[in-house]
Amino acid sequence: MRHRRISRRHFLAGVLGTSATLALATRAAPAVRKGANLRLWILKTYVAPTNKAIEVSAERWAQKNGATVSVEYFTFEDMQTKYVAAIENKNTPDVGQLETGAPARFAGMGQLLDLTTFARQVEGQIGKPTANVAPVTMVDNKIYAMPWYIMGAFWYVWRDVFEKNKVKLPATYEEAKQAAHVLNRPNENFYGVGQSWNRTSDGYGVMQSLMYSYGVGWAGRDGKYRSIKTPTMQQVMKWATDIYKEGIQPADTLSWTGSQNNENFIAKKIAQTSNGPSITFALEDALAKARDATERKQREEAIANHLALPHPAGPDGRRMWSIAMSLGIFKNTKDPDAAMSLIAHLLSPEETVSVMKESYGQFGPVLDKARDASKDYFNKNDNYRTFGRAAEWFAATGWPGPVTAAAAEVQATNVLTDAPAKVIVDKWSVDQAIEWEDKKIKDVYDTLRS
Amino acid sequence: MAEARLHPRRWASASGRDTGTAFFFLLPLFALVVALIIYPFYRAIWLSFTDKLVGYPERFVGLRNYLYLLRDDTFREVIRNSLIFTVGSVTLKILSGLAMALVLNGIWRWRNFFRGLFLLPWITSTVIIALTWRWMFDSFPGRGFFNSVLMDAGLLTRPIAFMASPEGAMLAVIIANWWRGFPFFGVSYLAGMQSIPLDLYEAAAVDGAGTWRRFWHITLPGLKHVMIITILLSFIWTINDFNIVYVMTRGGPGTATQVFATYSYEVAFNQLRWGRGVTISIFVVPLFIVGIVLISRYLLRERD
Amino acid sequence: MYKAAAPLARLGSVKSLTIVGLLLFLLVILVPFWWIANMSFKTYAQIQFATSIYVPNPFTWENYTGLWTDTRFPLWLRNSVITALVVTATTTVIATLGGYAVARLRFPGRESVASLILILYLVPPALLFIPLYRVLAELGTTNHLTSLFLSYPTFTVPFCTWLLIGFFKALPKELEEAALIDGANRMKAFTKVLLPLATPGIVASAIFAFTLSWNEFLYALVFIQDEKSITVPVGLNLLIYGDVFHWGELMAASVITTIPVVLLYMFIHRWMVEGLVAGSVKG
Repeated sequence: MRHRRISRRHFLAGVLGTSATLALATRAAPAVRKGANLRLWILKTYVAPTNKAIEVSAERWAQKNGATVSVEYFTFEDMQTKYVAAIENKNTPDVGQLETGAPARFAGMGQLLDLTTFARQVEGQIGKPTANVAPVTMVDNKIYAMPWYIMGAFWYVWRDVFEKNKVKLPATYEEAKQAAHVLNRPNENFYGVGQSWNRTSDGYGVMQSLMYSYGVGWAGRDGKYRSIKTPTMQQVMKWATDIYKEGIQPADTLSWTGSQNNENFIAKKIAQTSNGPSITFALEDALAKARDATERKQREEAIANHLALPHPAGPDGRRMWSIAMSLGIFKNTKDPDAAMSLIAHLLSPEETVSVMKESYGQFGPVLDKARDASKDYFNKNDNYRTFGRAAEWFAATGWPGPVTAAAAEVQATNVLTDAPAKVIVDKWSVDQAIEWEDKKIKDVYDTLRS
Repeated sequence: MAEARLHPRRWASASGRDTGTAFFFLLPLFALVVALIIYPFYRAIWLSFTDKLVGYPERFVGLRNYLYLLRDDTFREVIRNSLIFTVGSVTLKILSGLAMALVLNGIWRWRNFFRGLFLLPWITSTVIIALTWRWMFDSFPGRGFFNSVLMDAGLLTRPIAFMASPEGAMLAVIIANWWRGFPFFGVSYLAGMQSIPLDLYEAAAVDGAGTWRRFWHITLPGLKHVMIITILLSFIWTINDFNIVYVMTRGGPGTATQVFATYSYEVAFNQLRWGRGVTISIFVVPLFIVGIVLISRYLLRERD
Repeated sequence: MYKAAAPLARLGSVKSLTIVGLLLFLLVILVPFWWIANMSFKTYAQIQFATSIYVPNPFTWENYTGLWTDTRFPLWLRNSVITALVVTATTTVIATLGGYAVARLRFPGRESVASLILILYLVPPALLFIPLYRVLAELGTTNHLTSLFLSYPTFTVPFCTWLLIGFFKALPKELEEAALIDGANRMKAFTKVLLPLATPGIVASAIFAFTLSWNEFLYALVFIQDEKSITVPVGLNLLIYGDVFHWGELMAASVITTIPVVLLYMFIHRWMVEGLVAGSVKG
């Protein structure tokens, strides 16, 4: 492998202003000077205990090293604006949690430190990410962020409803749709499925899972634009719009916010929906807050009856669009060594497992050492076993190509969910919608700055 | 004025004798206005001629943003939505404002009390109003007022998803905007009605004119001035509205309720394209200038 | 006040129409407020399962307490209060000075300044928010309340100045003229003579500024990201779209946020009406 000797590339990386990389090349492990103060940005997820656990883990590092960490949160909603603001104002944090498309976007702007050597250095400690996740944080074969965990999406169903109606648990999108038809009971306000094409990850994320499982991607393996005007995309669009046209969903599905599918599922108004483990968390949390025996019984039943299946497969395989969270260091940091030390700490198997244990299965580690250490945790029950397998099915924005700034922008323009909306709401034909979507995507690739 | 002769000051002309003091008094105002309104406005214009993308330095590209938007079908939909939203809402406001003024004019015992009460929507935060009406139209019975009431009364078996269709969503945001804004119209028209001389009405009554004819031939013409001004003001405010649409629908479903302000925000902060985002807002400026010119003529014509 | 003249034909039916209209408007105005307040006293289960629609049953304060313990609402409230107070103070000073100048002082271009002030009020925040963001970022004020202290006066000052011009013009000039003749300079005439007389108007304008600042959303959304530094409207927006299932607390927050404004408003609604219609009805 070329990495054995320090190649010209590594020297260039060092020269290009990332002095820490050069420094690292001559040091064993990042040392932290006393009194270092770091700003850490982390994502506020729906599972509150995880957020707290990460804070606590960071505190432990601070204590151990005589340093301080101040933690700030961003949410799914303001992920973009918060980082945008920081970049424009030149007050980016030292270490930031980055969602799937962010490493590509920010590295392209020259905002992130090159962590290739660092990754090599700590490999012995923390391991490597799985092969399908690693490319998320790499641009031109350089690593710009350390992958930490993925938040998978799963196919939630009410097991008792399926059993009562003698319907087989769905493994593919087609089966899910058929099951929805059988289970649909609009007169009782109960619907077969609830999938909103809204501007949240529940919308554009599932659309991508659908597309990638059918083998359709708007970029090729090389990351360049690829037309989606194919018969397979027609099938995708058809599935996406049939579930609306065929009356198997609640009437207001298209206008749901990110949490309304959770709500509808927990209220047992829909039989199936795609979601992250936050539904399981909500149910377990509700049980913990039960006030009397009746409530306890109700909530225990709910937990027993809800089932998280692997996300459906399509003709081309089972691909689950997920959010891949990584940790990156912004180049404006005053203390790159401390930052790297913090990251190595957070990513260590022990710390990762401690955070993961508070995550109700939402947190799927991707580094192999952490994965090994967490096998027991995920063995709790069927649902958790499924959660633990998330990394197997992971597919990122821009599949089958790498995650690029262009792919991230396509997702950000909401064109993926606007297209089916045009068929459902504006009564366009499937062809028209695909044509329009393709044009918009091409436009992004044509006008993006490299 | 005669005083100018009594108190000779540095500037002999009456019209300029306080210029020094005035400068001092107006300095904070001017400083604020120049630094935080005029300068950003100028930068907005400049930004619209660049391809500014967050994280990258900007480059001058001339009219590229303008041409792109003119050819963009989403933008055309935004223009259409904004016009429908504004015209619909302002029309409703005019009609209900007239009705409110007539009602208030017709009572005198507690007129001030009711007038104050009816102004409540005007002083409430638009975010809360948007939230409130989002809930009024919600399809979850228990949350949605209309669905709850209709289902409870047995008129509906299944909830109606008002905001899930483009027409329904547009109607919902129009109603929220209308509810917030019509008291302004009502109060203005009331004041206008109260300054119409009574003898005109009495003369018409003597001539045998009925209520409706009196309204059409005396009240309305008497309100012409007020109506023009309120319509212009409301038009400008409504076409630039961000809060109500953003909080109620985020521009959805799809792009059915996307208006200038929300689209500008989305392009600038989701897609990170500031050049294009600013250009969207600038398209409203010509309308704004026309509105200003008209308002100035009507509003300032009679100032002393 | 003009009274409706008695000899109008068909007085009876006009009167009953008026009463019907009054009731309709009352319903239209009050029902939405009631709906929110109603929900704020219901438990999550009640709202979710529509168990008791018109009256909370059981009646609960848990949303109000939950607001305080589970969310950052107290912080947001603090931020909103601080912002509103600072902006009100600066606005009142600037607007009073400027309004006085246009109403009382003689200088060339006086009418243009008056027109300019009105025009500035109408410049839409939707146009300015992007470049204003950059300007404030360059000043290093974004993500702090300072960005609001600087940007809010851009809409409160023009409106309040316009309001005060109207008020000052309506005050009798004689007292000031007398003071000037007695040898006082403009500043003294202003502070010792006019200000005491104009206090009601200035108070009204201050309350107006407070209300505008309290309710503002777009600038607060764009200029500040840190969840600990945002104001109430932005926080409410977060609660709708962000975390799950905070409906009751959202309603409670709406009630709490609206009350101060309504209370303040009760004092000044007469002036507010005058201010709103000032100039639009007559010169």
